[in-house]
Amino acid sequence: MTATPTAPVGIPPAVTEETAPFWEAAAAGRLLVERCVRCEAESFPPYGMCRACRGRDVEHVEITGPGHVYSFTVNYQRWMPGLEVPYALVLVEFAGHPGVRVFGRLRGCPPQEARIGMAVEVGFEPGPGGYAVPSFIAVAAESAVPAEGAAGAERAA
Amino acid sequence: MTGMGTDLFERRVVISGVGQSAIGRQLDRSGFQLTIDAILAAVADAGLTVDDIDGLAMFPGGGKANLPGYANGNLYEIQDALRVTTTWRQGIIEGMCLPFYGPAMAVATGQARHVVVWRTVKEGSAARNAGGRPAYGSTNSAAEGPLAWLLPVGALSPVCQLAPYTTRYMHEYGVTREQLAWIPVTQRAHAALNPDAVYRSPLTVDDYLASRMISSPICLYDCDVPADGATAIVVSAAETAADLRAPVGVEAMAGVVDGRPSWEQWEDMGRVGYATAAAMWARTDLRPADVDVAEIYDGFTIEAVWWLEAMGFCGPGEAGAFVEGGKRISLGGELPLNTWGGQLSGGRLHAAFGHTAEAVRQLRGEAGDRQVAGARVAAVTSVGGYEAGAALLTSWPR
Repeated sequence: MTATPTAPVGIPPAVTEETAPFWEAAAAGRLLVERCVRCEAESFPPYGMCRACRGRDVEHVEITGPGHVYSFTVNYQRWMPGLEVPYALVLVEFAGHPGVRVFGRLRGCPPQEARIGMAVEVGFEPGPGGYAVPSFIAVAAESAVPAEGAAGAERAA
Repeated sequence: MTGMGTDLFERRVVISGVGQSAIGRQLDRSGFQLTIDAILAAVADAGLTVDDIDGLAMFPGGGKANLPGYANGNLYEIQDALRVTTTWRQGIIEGMCLPFYGPAMAVATGQARHVVVWRTVKEGSAARNAGGRPAYGSTNSAAEGPLAWLLPVGALSPVCQLAPYTTRYMHEYGVTREQLAWIPVTQRAHAALNPDAVYRSPLTVDDYLASRMISSPICLYDCDVPADGATAIVVSAAETAADLRAPVGVEAMAGVVDGRPSWEQWEDMGRVGYATAAAMWARTDLRPADVDVAEIYDGFTIEAVWWLEAMGFCGPGEAGAFVEGGKRISLGGELPLNTWGGQLSGGRLHAAFGHTAEAVRQLRGEAGDRQVAGARVAAVTSVGGYEAGAALLTSWPR
């Protein structure tokens, strides 16, 4: 069984001018990062400033994956009432996208099967406050529907 | 002991006093009262009176705390209660690397002569009130700043942030939980000799391996103990040393942030603290082999691992072998580690306040049954990554 919660428990993000594009795209199942118009370096989280050249002219581009797991943990502790455990949290990086590392849950496999280096597709799931939050999909277990994440098949409630 | 020269600013200061309130899992007194207890104890320990104090500092400063149970009190109210005139004050939320760093700068530049800095926690009570260790930011209705990328996805605790470091470290270096267990196990043996430690009953490697997993691979005994208690430290001008009861020298200190200042964005999770340690060692002729006792940060077991390696007590990836069996890091070993029990058993006094207090006691020969014979050089480190600090303290006179 995956650890996807049926009723999202947690604390929603405070959305700012800099982060609103990310959360709006997340609701549509798309992972946006900032890209510098001048030097094309990508940055995450979004600051409205390029972390490579400090340029202030940034645009938002979609990353479609797949990514790979840089590191992970399986959380067993019920930090808040009603939190369903266990679930795996993965730090995902993307080949060809230096400067981008995104934290999210893992689904599509039992949490204990999380491994460093495993391939994952971009995805989102309903999170606290009605926001869609990153929820990556293990590639091997989801190979029948490889485009699920990028296509935004799962949206926030 | 000259390093970059005798005019290093930290050589112009001493740590003159340390004081602590009662320390326990839960204490039925306010953070304010615990703070006053610790300050008065530290001032008396220095051989000073409250009227000698002309600088006040606390960490963190006012503002919204990330975790329930931060209980420093309000700096203005503490000053009012103490009835002191200050020429320098500091209360900072972000950026602190060592408890005595800012106070040392103030004293070295003549802005104050005797600064007291404190840190008070009631995280033990907060955990009890929450029915368990509470979530990060659980007192907030929305996750602001860096927490916006953590809390909504379920990374609800510092444990969830530090666990991927442990995963990555073990993956890169082949270090095992059976090896890392020796850090909490050995520190528990030290805590048995410290009457102020929160947990003092024996702990074995089997106990460690059988304990419940919190956020893998971090288990219960890899986590420091939420506690109630206050620690105060007095930093004084070295020129006042003759008036002080038992000062301790500051040989060198540094706090370098050379990676992304974010737990989850830190580039290389297998290596933390190296730039801070290198900058600190560049300020002294002492070497790792000169360190008699290591009071290094252990909010989680992995943080002690970082500092063992970054400080050069062992090489990268060698901490598992270094601590295995516990002999090297025990009292009587080559590097006695966290002789008060550390935060893992002594209590989460946080941000190296407890570590500093113990280092001072060791260098004075006032550490009771856990005294390291002839300790003259102590290493103190704090946190790691984006709040990294490292220092060497020495017995006085140098």
